Amino acid sequence: MKTKKALFIHVGLALLLILAFGAQAQAGNTYKLGLSLAITGPTSDAGNPYSKGVEDYIKYVNDEKVLGDDKVECFIRDDQYKTDITKRNFEDYLDMGIVLYLNYSTGSTLGLKRDFEEEQIPVIPASFHAGNLVDSHYIFLPIASYSSQMVTLAEYVVANHKGDTPKVAMFIHPSAFGRGPVEDAKKAVKAGLKMDIVEVVEHGKDLDNTATLKRLLNKKVQYVICHTVQSPVATLLKDAQRLGIAAKTFGEKGKITFLGAHYTGGNDLIALAGSAAENYFWTTSYTLTSVKGEGTDFQLALAKKYGRDEKAANSHNYTNGIMVAQVAVEAIKRAKADGKEITRKSLYEELLAMHGDRSYDPKTTVAPVTYSETDKEGVDKLQIYRVDGGTWKAVGEPIESVFMKKIK
Amino acid sequence: MSYFFQLVVSGIVVGSIYALSALGFVLIYKSSRVLNIAHGQIIAAGAFITYALTVWAGIPIYISFILSLIITFFLAMGVERIFLRRLIGEPIISVIMVTIGLMSIIDGLVYLTPFGTENFSFPEFLPAHPLTVYGVSISWTQMVGVIITAIMIGGFSWFFTKSTLGISMRAVSDDQLASMSVGISIPRVFGLAWATAGLSAAAAGSIIGNITGLNFDTLHAFGIAVFPVVILGGLDSIVGAVVAGIIMGLIQQFAAGYLDGNWGLNGTANVLPYIILLIILLFKPHGLFGTHEIERV
Amino acid sequence: MATNRWVATGNYFTSYKDEQRIFLTHFDRLIFCCMLVLVFAWPLFISVSDRTLLVIDNILIAIVAILGLNLLTGFAGLISIGHAAFVGVGAYTLASFSHLLGDRHILITHAWPLMILISGGVGAGFGALVGLPAFRLKHLYLAIATLSFQMIFEWVINFMKFFNQGQTIFVGRVFWFTGKIARKQHYQFWYYVILVVVVIAGFAVRNLLRTRYGRCLVAVRDNDRAADAMGMSPGLTKVYAFALAGFFAGVAGALHAYLYRGVGFESFTLHHSITYLAMAIVGGLGTLVGSFFGPIAIYMLDLLVENLAEYVGHLLPAVMNLSTALRPLTFGLVIVLFLMFEPRGIANWWRIARTYFKLWPFRY
Repeated sequence: MKTKKALFIHVGLALLLILAFGAQAQAGNTYKLGLSLAITGPTSDAGNPYSKGVEDYIKYVNDEKVLGDDKVECFIRDDQYKTDITKRNFEDYLDMGIVLYLNYSTGSTLGLKRDFEEEQIPVIPASFHAGNLVDSHYIFLPIASYSSQMVTLAEYVVANHKGDTPKVAMFIHPSAFGRGPVEDAKKAVKAGLKMDIVEVVEHGKDLDNTATLKRLLNKKVQYVICHTVQSPVATLLKDAQRLGIAAKTFGEKGKITFLGAHYTGGNDLIALAGSAAENYFWTTSYTLTSVKGEGTDFQLALAKKYGRDEKAANSHNYTNGIMVAQVAVEAIKRAKADGKEITRKSLYEELLAMHGDRSYDPKTTVAPVTYSETDKEGVDKLQIYRVDGGTWKAVGEPIESVFMKKIK
Repeated sequence: MSYFFQLVVSGIVVGSIYALSALGFVLIYKSSRVLNIAHGQIIAAGAFITYALTVWAGIPIYISFILSLIITFFLAMGVERIFLRRLIGEPIISVIMVTIGLMSIIDGLVYLTPFGTENFSFPEFLPAHPLTVYGVSISWTQMVGVIITAIMIGGFSWFFTKSTLGISMRAVSDDQLASMSVGISIPRVFGLAWATAGLSAAAAGSIIGNITGLNFDTLHAFGIAVFPVVILGGLDSIVGAVVAGIIMGLIQQFAAGYLDGNWGLNGTANVLPYIILLIILLFKPHGLFGTHEIERV
Repeated sequence: MATNRWVATGNYFTSYKDEQRIFLTHFDRLIFCCMLVLVFAWPLFISVSDRTLLVIDNILIAIVAILGLNLLTGFAGLISIGHAAFVGVGAYTLASFSHLLGDRHILITHAWPLMILISGGVGAGFGALVGLPAFRLKHLYLAIATLSFQMIFEWVINFMKFFNQGQTIFVGRVFWFTGKIARKQHYQFWYYVILVVVVIAGFAVRNLLRTRYGRCLVAVRDNDRAADAMGMSPGLTKVYAFALAGFFAGVAGALHAYLYRGVGFESFTLHHSITYLAMAIVGGLGTLVGSFFGPIAIYMLDLLVENLAEYVGHLLPAVMNLSTALRPLTFGLVIVLFLMFEPRGIANWWRIARTYFKLWPFRY
């Protein structure tokens, strides 16, 4: 009780101090952005670092005067992964006069699609669901869609598999988020990708995947491509390790090699699965702090500057948050440089113009961001990572899916 | 055939973990007629305490497991003292809602710690390679889980049939007025019921945490997932919890093993327990082993 | 019969009919009418943001749902941990039509009052179906049966292609005599529609409780064996309580679908069921006014905490966890504190306040 009281006093004092110093006048314009995401509730393990990424980068922009005297203000609100609250936040942001909106979940992005159309406001969601782009003009995915990720993984399997046609199973989230990319993977197979999709497994809250794994092994499945969140994958990997059927190297005979899309991986997976995560293949378009580069140096410096802990600093969701903020700020910067007024329309135009020599390399991704009328997937290339000795190591160069173009 | 036996073994393993989780509900309901909806949160808390003691305080896992049981024992006792003592004699809906409120409060408290939004996993302390007999394999973690479950359930059965305290708890569940008149302290029995439930929750949490890794959402969802087991077995029967736990474990494994992937079905393991529960309740309204209460006007 | 029908300081009933009046005094009726005029007229004079209107609309929808839940849990004493699923049934009825006919079909855009009624009817059907186990189950076992319904509902919606696997199914903009309701007028238009529904539903519940069917509910809650002996059928009464609750929930669901112009399963999860229960408890179980106070209180609390959390988060970014923890903490605390210190809910404060004014200048 005593510590709680002390905490309250500290909080109160801090409030007073900030109020006293915070009331200084500011020069220049302020551009408003809004972000609504799940900081609590389901998927908060991803949402939390994501929000920190956005918050820190916006602070960085203001502190380092990236936009000169102009400031960017980004409202961040928790919607607990509920579409109703997301909608409320969005309406509120509109009243506050935001020029660009950052959204989070697949459900709410799809649910608010028509509002985005009517309001003609550019939106960057954290969901890379390909369905977001159907009948939509204003939604921009930051990186390649889940479908592209799944198809890329499938292509990687086909390219590196030795022997006859590889047998593949898909392990997916029991929702449209999980099922969406399966259709595209099947289309890719029809379009000539030499691979057998033996089974599509939808997981539940299982404590034991023995049944599933044994069945897959009986069907001679050699690769499982996962598209869900980390926790079920971790259980699956642990069970595979326990049963002794997890491949030690890619495509080991008689064993299963596991691969997965963006939200199945990251340090969270290693944290959950421990040594069972070894030899897991994961794809994303973001740079990881375990593979040093210009972008990761910037990310770590940013995290240090704003006092983030080790875990947040190294999270790929933190990178994800930084990157969407980078894209938003870059659009504002370019609109300013072109002498345009910063409005929803000008930002929309700037985003659409982001291709060719106007493509933007935020350095936190493995390839530049490109948008156009026909291409609303930001970073087209994907990097494959593999767990090796408890950290993510890059496998080869970033690649771009061939079949996605064929099936479009 | 080994596929079938593997499913049976996995079903029993998962089922016994269900049974251990369901035990917490039963212990509380048995004496105080309260359904504790916040049990999943207590399970999660138990897992987190074990983890914190093991990794952050550096205590060997066997000792920290025992310590965590003790801490949760007293925590649960405190919860009963603060929140539920006042509600003795209130209608069930109030008591259920208090535990729902409690669920939210524990959620909030967990969000204050790193466990709320981050993922962790226990350090490995058991051999990673599985035990394999005739093609049927079981991991050491699961093995230890089953053993702990068996010890706990055996212990509680002994406690309720042989020890004075256990017998007084049963007396209270049977007739509060009569037991008061023979000198049993009802508040003490209720406190003890919660405490033992907390203990079993911590054990369940630590085992589940070892299997799935520590993710708050996954862990507390387990409290809801185990409802069908509790109801199927009958709310006030320890034997019922064990039998129903194993039945549900088997059903889920068989559903995942034989139904999923055929006839376009998927994820049936999640919904099947509820459907079977509804059907069984139609024939046995008090579950398989629940006491049929005699009501008088 | 007291001579003065404007003020009544005490109980002057001389006949059973007297006691059953909707308004005890003319004064009550006057105040009620003034309130009614006020809630209908204020948007004409004060302009508020879309967000505020959305929140108000949400509260009103929750009131419709809670009126149903209160009939079920408050008056008939049957605990339902699946009310959000019933609301979902209503919403998905509308979504099914939208899916089959196209979201801009004339039936959906023009005949929307009919659609709302149909959704209510389907909700009632499912309510009766889920209520069937009430013939045999009691207390907690019944509560868990409703929980099962919630789980099965979520699975079905998530699994079936027909329901777009839980992703949003859009519902088109509706028409009124003045033409299509555009985005600008959307929230205000639905404010009026839902308000009318709330008033009708409120009167319906009040009147129901004056009939023998209403008294049946209470009798079955208090002791179903005794009710049985008095010649009521407890089983049937429970089933029709479920059906009634399902109807209100279905209507609320359809309104929700129209308001959000789409249906997605995230709005009808177990969490929402629990929130509905909390609203009913905080408002006051078994009271009519409680159904109004509960949703208002819970929504207001939610907004308040949200603002507070944001404030704390802005000022002290390092304690982000504190601000995220605030919402569940306060929600839980409010429920627990209410149950511990005011189990009769806000409705009880209302009663005390009323009595105070009635007896003024004498002390309560």
